[in-house]
Amino acid sequence: MAAFYLALWGLAGLLGASAIAALVWAIRRGEFDQLREASQSIFDDEEPVGKVTDRFPDKRF
Amino acid sequence: MADTPETVPLPAPEERERLTRIQIDRSCRQTVVWYYASAVFWLLVGSALALIASLKMHTPGFLADWEWLTFGRARPAHLAAMIYGWGSMAGVGTLLWLQARLTRNRLPFPTLLPATAVIWNLTVAFGVVAILAGYSTSIEWIEIPPSTAILFGFCIAAIIAASIRMFRSRESKHTYVSQWYLFGAIFWFPLLYVSAQLFLHTPAAKGAVKAAANWWFAHNVLGLWFTPIGLATVYYLIPKVIGRPVHSYHLSLLGFWSLAIFYNWAGTHHLIGGPLPAWLITVGIVGSVMMFVPVVTVAVNHHLTMVGHFHHLKYSPTLRFIVYGAMCYTAVSFQGSLQSLRSVNEISHFTHYTIAHAHLGVYAFFTMVMFGAIYYVAPRLLNAEWHSAAWIRVHFWTTAVGMAIYWLGLTWAGWEQGKMMNDPRIPFLDIVRFTVPWLWSRSAAGVLMTIGHLSFAWLFWNMLRQRGAYLPGPTLLIRKDEPVAVGGGE
Amino acid sequence: MNRAWLLVVGVIATIVASVTGLVLLPDRQLRSTGPVEDEDRGITLPVAYFGDAEEGRKVYMDLGCIYCHTQQVRPEGFGADIERGWGMRRSVARDYIHDEPPLMGTMRTGPDLMNIGARQPSAQWHYLHLYEPRITSPGSIMPPHRFLFEVRHSADGLPEDAVRLPDEFARRKPSWIVPRDRARWLVAYLLSLDHNYEVPEAR
Repeated sequence: MAAFYLALWGLAGLLGASAIAALVWAIRRGEFDQLREASQSIFDDEEPVGKVTDRFPDKRF
Repeated sequence: MADTPETVPLPAPEERERLTRIQIDRSCRQTVVWYYASAVFWLLVGSALALIASLKMHTPGFLADWEWLTFGRARPAHLAAMIYGWGSMAGVGTLLWLQARLTRNRLPFPTLLPATAVIWNLTVAFGVVAILAGYSTSIEWIEIPPSTAILFGFCIAAIIAASIRMFRSRESKHTYVSQWYLFGAIFWFPLLYVSAQLFLHTPAAKGAVKAAANWWFAHNVLGLWFTPIGLATVYYLIPKVIGRPVHSYHLSLLGFWSLAIFYNWAGTHHLIGGPLPAWLITVGIVGSVMMFVPVVTVAVNHHLTMVGHFHHLKYSPTLRFIVYGAMCYTAVSFQGSLQSLRSVNEISHFTHYTIAHAHLGVYAFFTMVMFGAIYYVAPRLLNAEWHSAAWIRVHFWTTAVGMAIYWLGLTWAGWEQGKMMNDPRIPFLDIVRFTVPWLWSRSAAGVLMTIGHLSFAWLFWNMLRQRGAYLPGPTLLIRKDEPVAVGGGE
Repeated sequence: MNRAWLLVVGVIATIVASVTGLVLLPDRQLRSTGPVEDEDRGITLPVAYFGDAEEGRKVYMDLGCIYCHTQQVRPEGFGADIERGWGMRRSVARDYIHDEPPLMGTMRTGPDLMNIGARQPSAQWHYLHLYEPRITSPGSIMPPHRFLFEVRHSADGLPEDAVRLPDEFARRKPSWIVPRDRARWLVAYLLSLDHNYEVPEAR
């Protein structure tokens, strides 16, 4: 049982450490720099910003 | 049927984008329609079980001699049908479509993924029948037998594989916030489900600790499975429908990571006053209160995105459901944080107040968002218009009003029930008698919501038969005064 | 390495952290908890379920009793559980060492059952209550569990634990209800629910 706990704690620590490492790496690489572009990424020329894409199926509102 | 690029010679750039989108939606057709159709089926099964359970609460003689439908079985069967049938299947369908759209890739595994929908259905059916037949594990939210972990695990593995494959060959160099939530959900759910089964059915945890494992799991099904799928949908569909990017992208990322860090820890607030170490309960309370951070960021962000565009609610069915759901997410989360405070919990714990709260989360937030998503996605998959606006309105108003009655009645009744319970001079049976009229109000609300579900099922059935107007492109915006855009072969 | 791995690792890390904190740590703290000795009676408490009570626990689970009844007494000053007579002390983790899984519940449509065996020690009361809850508890909304019983109309050859139905609840008079095995087991389990003894941590 002790080995089981040791393994779990080790795993938890390892994962926690790698999460922090990945975060640091991502920030350094500038992954969080182009946020405006990211928010625009769901639009394109055919469904651009400003175009409404859903409405009731008939004309009577 | 086929909208192939060849039918349109030398497409313009925007026409190319339109065709790409048609192809992406087409690639999702089989899988996502399978998931959605199954979800609608389970919604009806779950509603029937809910009505039976609700009627039994004020009229205990109703169907009393049929052991399979005794309250203690109908209620967990309702939960299993709704959570693992309706909610999860609608969620997976939406998740796959969103990922295809966001990575601008076709959905892979055209045979395997529809097969997972079949397996998922069989698993849920097995679970629901097992509960009704008396093989419930009697552990809330995970009453279905532990063997289901293998089947759900298989389905989720295929879904993860498809997600990773689409993500790796994505076109856009940006990761949209919805993708963060979807990746969270898709990895959290199997980890949750499998580890909960291990802790609950093996000696890995013992006695009272199993209750902690139970609520760690149950709370996280909402927090780390439904909530991220729901929020991913909201983050995509609100901007997409109104044609305006999300107000603050910074806030959306902060929202994701604070949710990932805090929601996990909230579950033990279900055990306040219970026989577990005080520090464990305190951790749950701290986690719940910290949930204010992601909730406020998400609420502010969606509100600011919507500002100036609320008039679209009148015209877009998707937006109606999604905005109703997003508002209820804020409400349910605030309520949840408050409910975890010891002074509030002392009254609200063990009462109908909690039941109202649970439905505010799973129904008013998640289910309404899924309705909105299906209204947006299904026409694009099946190239058909919803055949009746009137039925959509019936669906919206019955469910929206039904849910409001449900919540108001049980919240009020539960709060009074809790106060009476904490006054030892009031005989217990007087409290029971006090709640009965409110249990009737719950049944009335349930009837309304079921009417909504039936209209939705009717709409969906006609969608499957493509009874609505034919849609050549992937958008609902065809004005009668406007020539229908190219791209169709007719 | 791309952003997918950042996400995946972060996502897994959060959940591993919480399961460690909310399940593994408390388990470590509570695992060694054992029964207490009752020297006067020469037994250890809580008593492990065996025989009919053990079977009855399964009936309690399959009929979904937990959806309306808790099995946990909250401490004095937090709610009125003790004042209501649901137990002489709060429940502690030690009370559940034989409970796989614990049936603590989260809803009190009906009263707490942590010590129902001490509060209602009569098997007859339980049979009548299970058959038709309104016989013993007017105004109750508990579902009747008639399917756990056989009804007989003659006093000949009645088993010892048959109970005469009050006339106003009998369709044909006279009527006796004879518990089937599952009712017997369930009542044996309910009668075994008695945690009214002292434990060091709840003094």
